[in-house]
Amino acid sequence: MYKTILIPIDFCVASLNTLKVALEENKGQPIKIVLLYSEYLNDSIQDLLFYSPNKIINSKKTTEFNEALEILCNRFGLTQSNICIRLLHNNKRGHLEPIIQIHNVTSIYIPEQYQLNLKNNAFDPIPLLGSLPLDIHKVKWNYNNNKSEQEQLTSLFN
Amino acid sequence: MRTQTKVALLIGLVCVTIVVIFSITVYFFVNKYSYVDFYKRLEARVRIASQYYLEPGSLKAENVKALKDQHLEKLENEKEFLIELNQKTSITSIINEYKFPSEFVTELLNTGKATEKEGNLFYAGAKHLKNEKVFLIIVSAENYYVSHHLLFLRNLLIAGISFVVILVISLSFYFSRHIFSPIRHIIDKVKQISTENIHLRLDDSNTNSEIKELILTFNDLLNRIETAFETHKNFISNASHELGTPLTSIIGEADVSLLKPRSPEEYIESLKNISFQAERLDNITKSLLFLAQTGYKDKAITLERIRIDEVIWDTKQVIDKLNPDNKITVDLSLLPEDPKKLKIKGNRQLLQLAFANLLNNACKYSNNKQVTVFIASSDSQIIVTIKDLGIGIPESEIPFIYDPFFRASNTKLYEGYGIGLPLTRNVIKLHQGQLIVNSVLNAGTTVQVKIPLYLQS
Repeated sequence: MYKTILIPIDFCVASLNTLKVALEENKGQPIKIVLLYSEYLNDSIQDLLFYSPNKIINSKKTTEFNEALEILCNRFGLTQSNICIRLLHNNKRGHLEPIIQIHNVTSIYIPEQYQLNLKNNAFDPIPLLGSLPLDIHKVKWNYNNNKSEQEQLTSLFN
Repeated sequence: MRTQTKVALLIGLVCVTIVVIFSITVYFFVNKYSYVDFYKRLEARVRIASQYYLEPGSLKAENVKALKDQHLEKLENEKEFLIELNQKTSITSIINEYKFPSEFVTELLNTGKATEKEGNLFYAGAKHLKNEKVFLIIVSAENYYVSHHLLFLRNLLIAGISFVVILVISLSFYFSRHIFSPIRHIIDKVKQISTENIHLRLDDSNTNSEIKELILTFNDLLNRIETAFETHKNFISNASHELGTPLTSIIGEADVSLLKPRSPEEYIESLKNISFQAERLDNITKSLLFLAQTGYKDKAITLERIRIDEVIWDTKQVIDKLNPDNKITVDLSLLPEDPKKLKIKGNRQLLQLAFANLLNNACKYSNNKQVTVFIASSDSQIIVTIKDLGIGIPESEIPFIYDPFFRASNTKLYEGYGIGLPLTRNVIKLHQGQLIVNSVLNAGTTVQVKIPLYLQS
């Protein structure tokens, strides 16, 4: 039986430190990971007509983010099927619950100190996640806000 | 021939050729149509003439003639001929009497219908049979349209072509000059740049995107040349200093020893000092030679399939022997589960040398504080990270750390030549890898080495 863990991310390498902690804590047991990115959709009719979650996700990913994710996957023996990225477009429980149910999420890991880097229409899903009746883990690590993406990659090596 | 002239001539030639072809085509078709049209007009007159010549005196004939005189335009030199053929008339007699072209008369007699042109005069004729008599009705006239309008068109086209030639060639030269003027400006500016004023750059305010790109490329090239020039100057200055210091010590030591007779112990001490400085000199020259050798990109090195963790462990063993006080820890928390993700194609000795340099620096500049080595792997490359808690590098000096003999301003108390890091970078480059250095002054340095994975097909 797989344990499914949901982790909020902002597509910055630093946000993957939560994933690192979650993987270390659950080492040895079969797990699936759902990385959640929260962003309001544009009102543009064109964006809504040609809506593609994969396109949005690929536009947000950076080389460093991909590299960091690959490092963690290689370290903990995760494959592409064990990890997925989902988008949340509304800060309402009604929109979050289907994601929780579809993926059968059992635990949520949220950073305690780290503030998600909210660009453009992004919003912070942590308060909403914290209100869910699930196993919530708050994790803590040292983080310097002024670091570049490349420097953040080195911060993963702590 | 200059490109500017070539472009102008090419554009001019193409435009002129198009205009000339167009004019000739227009003239040819107008000319052809005017002939066809004029023959039709003559044939119509032949048919009308046959109406009133072959039935003279009748009411119909007179009406037709009256209509013709009233409504048909009188052609230039228009003449009508009615020739009755009998046993006395022959082709020769007709030709001699009326001065018709012989081919026209022959064709008219043979086929019953003919058209012909002789000089400016056009002929049309038809053969008719009336009351068992044979008549030839011939109309001749000059083509006013051909002789006047077409001539006017020809003159107009020639004048037009001449005007277009002058206009197109002038515009071609003007525009080619206009287009090439920024390039000429760049050439003039680049000619001014020499080794004395290599800091000069081209003005990149030009709005033309291609020219701006060219200017930026030139400026980028000049930046690199200036950097190389500065590096070269620094290298000579630093190398002279580094090689000169031990040599001065050797000469000074020898001179002092030779000033007066000395005891054997003093000579031994002096020779020891000379030997130490000579050894230092030897180390510097060897390092320089190795740096030069690894600097050749095309240098053939033996590459084999090796595991990066083995290289790190072997290097650590070497450092442990040389510096037993080191506190190097190899952190395996990000080590990939799959051993295939640790294999690279590389030269073990060169990589050991590179990592030994990095680890030595980490230990040396942190006064043997904690140094941590992380080994991780993405899907395409291996990442080795070396973190120390040393003195760090001033931010302003980070761009120069790969210059041979460069030593950061806060390293005066530490021994070294400034060759290790450039040498390490050359080795990593030979492995198609990357060396990334991040440092915070008085907090520590993080060096990241990325080398492509050996991916089995």
